[in-house]
Formats: sequence, structure tokens, C-alpha cells
Amino acid sequence: MVKIQKETAERWGYSGIGALFSSKPHLFLMLLFGAVAAWGYAVGIDGFFKGYHHVYGVTRQIPWGLLISAYIFCVVTSTGLCLVSSIGHVFGYEPYMPIAKRAVFLSITFMLAGFTIIFFDIENPFRMAVYNVISPNFTSNMWWMGTLYGLYLLSLGIEYFFLLDQNHSMSRFAGILGVIFGVAAHSNLGAVFGMLHGREFWYGPYMPIYFIVSAMMSGGAAIIFFTCLAWKMNREILDHRMERAVKAVCQLTTMLIAVIMFFTIWKIISGIVAPEKYLAIMAFVTGPHALTFWLFEVAMGMVIPFFLLLRSKGTNYGLMFSATAMMLVGIFFMRYNLVLAGQLVPVFHGLGVEEYSGLLPYFPSYHEIAVAIAGLSLAITGFLFGEKILNAHQFQKHEIVPAGAFICPGCGGIHYKKEGETHEEALQRHHRIRKAK
Amino acid sequence: MNIMKKNFLLFLLCSAIMLGLGSANNIFAEDDEGEDHGGDIVYTYPLKAVIFSHKAHVEDIGLQCEWCHDSTFEMEALHMQEEAQFDMESLCNEKYCGTCHNGDISFSTTTQCARCHIGKKGYDKMVREGLIEPVEGEEVSGDEEGGHGEGH
Amino acid sequence: MKLNKIDLDNLPNEGLDSVTEIERRSFLKVGLAISGVFAGGKILSVVSKVNEVYASSSEFTEKYPYSPHYSMVVRQGLCIDCELCIKACKETNEVPDYGYRTRILTKTVSDAIGRKQEFIPTLCNHCNEPPCCRACPTKATYKDPNNGIVMMESSKCIGCKMCVLACPYEARYFNAKRRAIDKCNFCWDTRLEKGEKLTACSNVCPSGARIFGDISDPENVVYKMVHQIEKQVWVLRPESGSKPNVFYMKATRSSPWDLRRQADAR
Repeated sequence: MVKIQKETAERWGYSGIGALFSSKPHLFLMLLFGAVAAWGYAVGIDGFFKGYHHVYGVTRQIPWGLLISAYIFCVVTSTGLCLVSSIGHVFGYEPYMPIAKRAVFLSITFMLAGFTIIFFDIENPFRMAVYNVISPNFTSNMWWMGTLYGLYLLSLGIEYFFLLDQNHSMSRFAGILGVIFGVAAHSNLGAVFGMLHGREFWYGPYMPIYFIVSAMMSGGAAIIFFTCLAWKMNREILDHRMERAVKAVCQLTTMLIAVIMFFTIWKIISGIVAPEKYLAIMAFVTGPHALTFWLFEVAMGMVIPFFLLLRSKGTNYGLMFSATAMMLVGIFFMRYNLVLAGQLVPVFHGLGVEEYSGLLPYFPSYHEIAVAIAGLSLAITGFLFGEKILNAHQFQKHEIVPAGAFICPGCGGIHYKKEGETHEEALQRHHRIRKAK
Repeated sequence: MNIMKKNFLLFLLCSAIMLGLGSANNIFAEDDEGEDHGGDIVYTYPLKAVIFSHKAHVEDIGLQCEWCHDSTFEMEALHMQEEAQFDMESLCNEKYCGTCHNGDISFSTTTQCARCHIGKKGYDKMVREGLIEPVEGEEVSGDEEGGHGEGH
Repeated sequence: MKLNKIDLDNLPNEGLDSVTEIERRSFLKVGLAISGVFAGGKILSVVSKVNEVYASSSEFTEKYPYSPHYSMVVRQGLCIDCELCIKACKETNEVPDYGYRTRILTKTVSDAIGRKQEFIPTLCNHCNEPPCCRACPTKATYKDPNNGIVMMESSKCIGCKMCVLACPYEARYFNAKRRAIDKCNFCWDTRLEKGEKLTACSNVCPSGARIFGDISDPENVVYKMVHQIEKQVWVLRPESGSKPNVFYMKATRSSPWDLRRQADAR
């Protein structure tokens, strides 16, 4: 283990390995999720040696299934976490600043979890490290996505290091890089689907756009969800500023749900008049996948959380927790539905042949489900690990309040005092409260 | 007896009569298993598979047995498969099926290939449904209809 | 009222270029809907498929200057689903049981007059704008500029199946033994490179439904078949934009007994 100096440890909020053992329930949960992850990866390795074509449910007609959906879920949540947190400490919108550390940490965690999931889907993962570098194809969205996500992860790592080290100007610079690489990588992920002219359901500029907006929605939901969980573990993290931050994220998330609902409605309506998309759309609206669509994607993923979040006003943590928990499940199914939708209608359906007269069947196999659960468990284990070992990602006092400034007891923001002013006078000046004559 | 019971007994009687008449006339049997003609003949050599429907030729068009079963075709089913020259070239030279299927009497054997050639898929279907015996040593694939994904 | 005299004999030829795709499709839907049903694909033009996309053949050869430029013509009406092609392909190219490089699809039109069933052979179309090659992250698949075949370089394949997803013709599958994606390569390594003139499937096809050749050579049978204004030529899924290089035709008969197998015709 690397020996971390006491000074550095204090600066980083590093509590030492011993912190992991401080709370029995927490330790139990960490070990539990760790064990689940280990089980899932063991099943994945078993599948690797047996041969994926024997153990996975994917076929030649439906080559991408649950694993790709789970990878997309993790990676989208990661990008969203980065983008939402960048509103604060990268672009300087002050209410979002308190969530920065946790969001970036989770962003890295989910990204790594996503990579482990895709490791078990690609047949020759070790070749990727070699040939992606020496034989790149610049017209391939997948190549760009892989490369940019690598750079994105690097930027995030650097950003997080500087956040820990309290070097906010460097972390902002790395954060800008993270945002640029993240948006570029993520829109290429959307374009992996959107640039396939032969798959009419996905083809078009909609996919990259939808992915970015949907990412921010997932990121907002994840921030609220994990902050609520973190609060349950450590009551002191929810100070006035964090409350303000959570409220701001809640407002953003609610608005983005509205945008995604709008996207989904028009995707359905415009698909109904397009013969090449009709069958795929109807498979989800009235067909065999209607349950996953209406119950999970629409009700749990969008509609119910929308109303719950509105009702919570950004202050009711019970409502926000249930809303975002539902959202995360619903969003997982959003990714699954999206990946399946473009593949359910056989490519030769238009020929009118007997072999391809209906929709193609797909159901995830035991191995696929195990690996997906493993990835998610790894992310949760990482989250639990980070909370304890990094002092719940709290900022230190002096980080939040620079010299000559104070936290406004009214709005929770940072205000600067002029020479000779008291806190009260500064407050009144900031909020333009006229003194009573 | 009251009117209800009378009606019921009448109904039973009529059903019994209809059942009797129907079964005697083979309405429950397969369409092409008539006693009057030879039913469906499925050739599996040299290719799988070609179907000849006696029903279409005897019942629908009204050909008589001796019109084909003189020197053109033997009465024994599938005898032609053992002939050396049972191929499309012979048919196009007005032998066997080509005697009539030359474009004048009926459609030419150079057209509408899949009308008689049901192919390997047709052959597989018939073996699955138990209508013909499988050729030795050959695999029969499962039902593919309905858009099932094939292979991995 | 004086009407302008229209000189019907000397009207300018609008040409097919001014007719948009949408117009063509709606025209054809109205007039040729019934033949569209039998075609199995979409007829977009009654001119050679090559000329439909490019103003002239020379533009096609300019853009895709491969020589030879291997291509296949599938005479759909002649396919009898004997599946000798699938068997020959499996044996020649070591295709495992769970996969296939070529397939025969069945189309039944119950209210057709006369013949009610059709068999449609499908295989890799060796497209001129292959979406698989565009999408592969490591260039493990590419269109060989020397012969126009879309090839696989198995050692580079990472098995991400992006190409399987991108292919509009489900021509690809993952081959566990090669540990890479596999697909039809016109028997390049197993036959053509070794001096054979035909692919395994076209060599063994008893009815001449598969005609293999070089579309860049005006003396070649494939070139001749595709460049006939009077014959309907189509491709599968032209809307995918991949400009496939395998053409489909009805069974063409220059004489009533023209059933030439390509192997005999050599």
C-alpha cells in the first residue's frame, strides 16, 4: 500500500483504511456487494472459457443484448455525473459546487464498472488494447468512443486528484477536458447507433442528442440518489449548502425528465408513420415488450419520478430518494429497450419471407444477468468504499469559504465582505435589502 | 317428454348421422391421402425435394391413371429416382414430366421452378410432420418459422 | 381560347435524375406493386441496377476501380432450395454448424397465380460502401482494393460485433474457432487464390441461380447480365445506402431451355 503522508491525508480527507471497519453495517454491506460482484465476474469468466456463443442469449441477428445495455447504463450515468457536477466547479455556478467530489468519484466508479461489463461482452478484449492503438479506424464511431472514453477517464482521474488536493484551478482545467472528452465520447456512443443507415429505428441525428440529454438526467438522478444514501450513512454531510445543491440538481433533473418525455413522445409518434420504424415502435407500445416500456421506462423511469420530484420541491428527501431510485431502475430499462428496439425487427423483414415474418426473440441468459449484476455491484461497492475512506467527499471549510468571504445564512451562497463590513451588512448589500430607516 | 328433451334427442341423432357419414368419407384424414390416387409423391434424389401431387393432377384436372402410367411413369412410386437420367435435362427434352410440362400442354419445366421444387425446407417440413421417411444419414433442421434467431 | 401547340415529338427528356427517390417509389408502388411483391426486394428502376445509382457505368468504375471487381448475380427464379450451395460453402470454408455464410430464405405468396413460392439466396453483398468496414474500430474488415471483396483480417478482430450490427444483410457471425467474425469472402482464400474461377456455391449450383464473375470486365457474364436495359435487376435493401455488389434478377431465358449451370458453361 502506498504510504500517504499525514499532511496529504488530511488535505484529501483520507481517513485511513481503518475507517472502513468503523461501522459494522457498512462493512457488511461492502462485503456483501463485493461478494456479489465476485460471484458475477466468476460466472463471466466461466462463460469466457465455455465460449460466449454457448452461454449468452445474444444471437447473430441480435448481437447486442443485456451486457451492452448495462455498459451503456453505467457509462451514460458516469458521463451524466461528470456533466452535472461540471456545472458547479468547472463552469462556476456556485450552487452545484458541494456535489463535485462525490459526483466525480462516482463518475470514475461507474465508468470502471462499465468497462468491466464490456470486458465480458467483447470476445477478444486484450486485442482491443493493441489494435485500437496500432490499427485505428477513424470512420468508426466505436473507435472514437473507446479512445475518447479513455481520455475522459484520464481527465476525470486527474480532475479528481486535484479536487482531492484542493487545487481548484487545476481541477477546473482537467474538468473542462473531462467535459469536452465526455461529450465527444458520449455523442459518439449515440452515433454508434445513429449512423447505422441499415437500422432505421436508430438512424439519424437523434441518438447522439438523446444520449447527452439522457445522460444528464441520469447523472442528476444518480447524484440525488447517492447523496441521500450517503446522508443515511453520515448525517453531517447535509449542511445548508448541500441542501441548496440537492435542490438545484433536483430542479435540473425534473426539467430534463420533461425533455426526455418530450423526446420519447415524438419518437413514438413520428415512428408510427414510418413503415420502417413502425414494427419496432409498436413492439414496445403494444407488443411483447410493452411491459418493459410502459411500466419500467415510462412509469418508473419518467412519469412517476417527475411528479414525485416536483412534489418534493427539492427539500423532501424521502420523496426524492424514492423518485431517483425508481428512475435508476427505469433508466436501466430505457437503455435495454433502446438496444433491443433496433434489433428486434429482422433486417430482411421487408422481403416478406417466412423466416423473418415476426419479431426476433431475445432474453438475457443467466451468464449475462450475472455479469451485469456484477458490474452494478462493483459500482455500489466503490461508492460505499469512497464514502468511508474519503470522509464522505466533504469539502473542508476553507475550500468552500475563501479568505474574506462567508457563507450567507440566508441563501447558503458565498458572499464577499467589503473592508470593514460586518456579515450582516454584507448580506444586506448582497441581497439588496434596504436598511429600515 | 317435454320439448327441451325432444330437441336435444333430435340434435344427438343428427350429430350421430353426420359423424357416421363423415367418417365413412374420410373427412378426418389428410387431404392428400385418397384411396383413389397415389397421394403426394416426394422425390429426394438427385435433389431434395420435388413434390408431385396426385390430387392436383387427378382430382383437380381429371387425368386418368393410364394416361401417365403407360410407358411414361411406372405405377411403383419413386421408381424414377432409380433411373439414370431423371434430371432437368430429360424433363426439358419432353421426358417424364416434360411430356406435358413443355409449355404447350402445361407450364414449361423451365418456368415456375419452386412450384414443384419444395426444396430442403419443404423436405424438412414433411419429415417433421411425419409425412415422409427421412433419407438415411441426413439431418433435418427444426422449425424456422416465425422469425427465430438462428445460430450464434 | 387559343391553346399553345405542344410539340409532343420533341419534348425534352427529363431523365431519371430529376425523379426523386420518393417519386420513384410512389410511382412504382402504384404501377408495379404486384411485381414488387414477387421481386422479394424493391424494384427502383427497370434499368440496370448499376446505372440506377450512377449516371453511367464509367462513373461506377471510376469510383470503384477494382480489377477484378468480383460480383454475383442471383437469378432468383431458378433457386430450388436444394441447398447444395450451403453444403459446399460449409465444407469448403469450414463453416461451423451454428453459423452460415449464405442462406436461402422462403417467400410464400398464397394468392399468386401459378407458382406460389420463391426461394431467395442471401449472402454477403460485398457492398461498395460497406457499413461494416466504416464501423469496425480496428479495420479488421476492409474492402480489398485488388478484387472488391470485403475481407476479414481475423487477427485484428476484437469481437465487438459492431459489424454484425451494421450489416444490413445479416451476413456476418462470430466464429468461435477462428475467434473472429466470419463471413462470405467469395471463397478467396479457399478457391480463387488457388486458381479456381468460381466460388464453391456458384460452382455447385445445379440450376444456374448463382452466377459469379467480374463486373469490371465487359466480356464477363456478370457484366453482361447486369447491363441489360430490358431485364429487371435489383439489389436487396437499397435504402441502406451500402451500394451492394450482388445483383438479383428473375430467371432470364434467352432460349426456352436456358438453364445453364455456370460450372458447365465454363
